[in-house]
Amino acid sequence: MAEKTKEQIKIGGIDETKYSMDTHLIYGKSVSDKWDYSHHVTAPISSSTTFRLDSVERGAQGFMQFANTEEFGDKAPIFIYDRLGEPNKDMLEENLAYVEKGEMAVSFASGMGAIAAVLGILTKPGDEIISHNTLYGCTLSLLSNWYPRYNIKWSPFDLTDPANIYNFVTPNTKVIYFESPANPNLEIIDIEVVSKIVKELNKDRSEADKIYVVIDNTFSTPFCQRPIEHGADFVVHSLTKGIGGFGTDMGGAVIGRKKFQDVLHLYRKDFGAVLNPKSAWSILTYGLPSLALRQRHQIKTAVRVAEFLNSHPKIEFVNYPGLPNRKGYETAKKQMIDFNGNFAPGSMIYFVLKGATPAESKEYGIKFMDYVANRAYTMTLAVSLGHTRTLIEHPASMTHSVVPPEKLAERGLDAGGIRLAIGLENPDDILLDLDESLKVI
Amino acid sequence: MGFQTDAIHAGQNPDPVTGAVSTPIYMTSTYAQDELGVHKGYEYGRTHNLTRQSLEKNIATLEKGKYGIAFSSGLSAENAVLGLVKAGDHLIVSNNVYGGTYRLFELIMKDYGLDFSWIDTSNPKNVENAIKENTKIVYIETPTNPMLNLTDIRAISKICKDNNLICVVDNTFMTPYFQNPLVAGADVVIHSTTKYLNGHCDVVGGMLITNDDKLHERFRYLQNAVGAIPSPFDCWLTLRATKTLAVRMKQHQENAMKIAEYLQTQSYAKKVIYPGLPSHPQYELAKKQMSGFGGMISVDFGEFETAKKIMNNIKVFTLAESLGGVESLVCHPASMTHASVPKEEREKLGLTESLVRFSVGIEDVEDLIADIEQAVKKL
Repeated sequence: MAEKTKEQIKIGGIDETKYSMDTHLIYGKSVSDKWDYSHHVTAPISSSTTFRLDSVERGAQGFMQFANTEEFGDKAPIFIYDRLGEPNKDMLEENLAYVEKGEMAVSFASGMGAIAAVLGILTKPGDEIISHNTLYGCTLSLLSNWYPRYNIKWSPFDLTDPANIYNFVTPNTKVIYFESPANPNLEIIDIEVVSKIVKELNKDRSEADKIYVVIDNTFSTPFCQRPIEHGADFVVHSLTKGIGGFGTDMGGAVIGRKKFQDVLHLYRKDFGAVLNPKSAWSILTYGLPSLALRQRHQIKTAVRVAEFLNSHPKIEFVNYPGLPNRKGYETAKKQMIDFNGNFAPGSMIYFVLKGATPAESKEYGIKFMDYVANRAYTMTLAVSLGHTRTLIEHPASMTHSVVPPEKLAERGLDAGGIRLAIGLENPDDILLDLDESLKVI
Repeated sequence: MGFQTDAIHAGQNPDPVTGAVSTPIYMTSTYAQDELGVHKGYEYGRTHNLTRQSLEKNIATLEKGKYGIAFSSGLSAENAVLGLVKAGDHLIVSNNVYGGTYRLFELIMKDYGLDFSWIDTSNPKNVENAIKENTKIVYIETPTNPMLNLTDIRAISKICKDNNLICVVDNTFMTPYFQNPLVAGADVVIHSTTKYLNGHCDVVGGMLITNDDKLHERFRYLQNAVGAIPSPFDCWLTLRATKTLAVRMKQHQENAMKIAEYLQTQSYAKKVIYPGLPSHPQYELAKKQMSGFGGMISVDFGEFETAKKIMNNIKVFTLAESLGGVESLVCHPASMTHASVPKEEREKLGLTESLVRFSVGIEDVEDLIADIEQAVKKL
C-alpha cells in the first residue's frame, strides 16, 4: 500500500510528452527517481556544504559513483559535498535540459563559468575555436586574452554566411561557437545550416577530431529558440538573464548530450565554478515557471518598441529579429519559434542614432543614454538583460569595452550602438520615456 | 550534553533524504498528500515546517525545555501567552517590562476584559499580596528592560505553584546561556529571538518554551490558529545564529563588564546600572540566579541634554531600537522603546529622560570605550 501511494505521488504513469512546454516549465521532468521531495510542493532550499555519510564504505561508493554514469547509471546520487552536487542544482538541471530539448544540463556559477567549461572540455593545446565575428565582450576576452596562453587558437569570421566555414575550418578546429541573435548587434546565424555543414565535415573526421557546434542561447531563452532542435551540439546559457528573469541571481548552464555530463561534472568539481544552491532554487522556483509568461509580454513590447524606433526620424537603423526586410529575417522566422509555433523574435533591440559621422552618432547616443539614466522611469542604464526592468546600455563602453575603438567595426560594433533589453513594464510607458528622451537630441 | 554542543546539534540531525549536514530551508506552503487522509505528518506550511521544527527543538533544548513553539515576533509569542486566559482573568506583571509588552497588555488586551496588576516583582511579597481569586498568570521579566531590576525566579515560581498560577519569564536579556528559568521552576519561558538568540539584527522572531504537555498543546493550537509563524528562511537564519550564542554571550558580557566598570569611574555618569557591578542593589541575587550578567547597561546622565549629546555624538554605537546584536546599539528608552509607557509611570520606575540604554556588542572593547570618550569630550 505504502509503495503504491509513493508511486502515485511520483505520478509515475503519466505520459509527459502530451503536455505543453508552458506546463513543463512548471513541472520540469516531473518524474525523478533521484529524490523523494515530491510531497514538498515547492522544493526545500538546500543549504548544506557537506553531507553525512553512513559509513566509509558509502563514502567510497559516493566518490566512485560521482561523474560515472556509464557504470552506475542515473540512480539517486550519494551526496557528498556541495561542489560535487546537491539536490537544488540537480533539480534545476533536469528542468533546463528538458526545456532546451537536451539530454542533460550541468549548471555553473555564471554564464562565463558555463562557457569556459564547455570550451574547456572540448579543447586542448593546439586546437582551434572558430566563431562568429560578434560575441559578448567577456566571451571575446576569454578567447582572445586567455586561450592564447594555453595555445588554443581563435579565428573569428562572418558566420552570417555559413559557407565561410569552409574557408576558416582547419584540421585543428574543434569548436564552432556563436550567438544567434548575436550580442549586441542581433545578427542572425542559421543554426540548421551551420550544423549541417559541420555534420558533413565530421564525416571525414575521427571521433577525437570531431567539430562541435556550441551556441550561446541567452538572448533567445528556450522560449524563443531551442538550438538542439536545429542540430546544435551544445547550448550555453547565462541563467542570470531571461531564464532567471528577476535580476536576483547569477548562474550559467551547459546543455547537451548525455555522454558529456560526467566530464562537465568533473570539470566543475575541479575548476569550481559551482552554482550556489540558493540561486539554483530561485531560478527553479521563480525563473523557469514564469519564463513563458514573461517572454510573451516582453516580445509583444519589443515588437512595438522596435517599430517605434524604426520609424523615428532620429534613428539611423534598428536591428530587431522581428523587423521584416532586415538581413537574417527569414532565418529568424525559421528558427526563433515559441512553444506554440509562433514567431518569437525575442526581447533585445539594437539601434544607432543618426549622425554625420560615427563620432557624432556616438555623441548623440551618449547624450540620449545619460538623459535616460537620469530622467526615464522605465529604463535603467545598466548591463545585463532579461530583467523585470528595461535595461539600456552602450556596448562599446560597457559590455564590449574589451574591444578597442579601432577594432569595433571588425567585431560588428558601432561606436554609438545602443542595446535595449525590454522588461516587464507597460509598453506605453517605455514608449513614452523613449519619445521624451529622443527629444533631447 | 553541554550548552555549546546542544547549540550546534540539538534539533539538527542530518537531513534524512540527502544526509545534508546543515538543515535545508523547507520553502513550501503546502505538502502533497499520498491519498485522502494519508500524509507524511506535514499538511500545510502554517501548521508544519521542518526548518521551524529544527529551530524549536534547538532553542527548547538550550532552555532545558521539552517544547519550543516559534512565532513571528516576541510580541506574537506574548500574545500566545494571553491565549491561555479569557475575559475576566487577572494577570500580575512586572511593573518595568518592555514597552511593547505594556502596550499589548494594558492598551490593547485590557479592552478585551483582561485585568492586569503592574507591580514591583523584585519583592516576592508584592506578588503574593496582588493575587486575587481570578489570577491566572504571573508574568515577569528579569532583568527588566531597561532598569535591569531582578526578580527571584525561584521565589515567584514557588508562589505560583502554591497558588496554582502559571509563571511566565521573559528571558530575552539573559538568554539560556546565562539563565534557565524552567530549571528555577518557571512554567513558560518567552523570548524575543530577534535579540541575542538571533544576534545579528537581521531577523524578527519569538519563541515560547515549556515542559508542560498541556501548555504546549494550547500554544501549538494557538500558533496554528492565530498564524503568527516565522518564515522558514528566518528560522534557518536563527538556527545558524544559535550555534554561536555561547561565544557571543561570553564576549557581550566581557565587553559590558569593562564598559560598566569604566563608566562607574566617570563623573558625568550619575548612575550606572549593570547587574554585574557590586553596586547593583540585587548583585547577590544576580550571582545566584544567573551564570553571567549579560550585555545590557543603563546609564542615567542626570540631564537630558547630556544624554542627548552623547547619543548624537557616539559613532561606533548606533542609535537604534532593539538590542542583542553583534553590533553595539544605544537607545533612549523614554522616547523610543518605552514611549508607550505614561510619563508618570516611567518616572516612578526611575526611567528618566536622561536614561540611556547601551546594548554592548562584540566589537573590540577598547574601541567602544574610546567611542564613549570622544562623545563625552564634545559635551
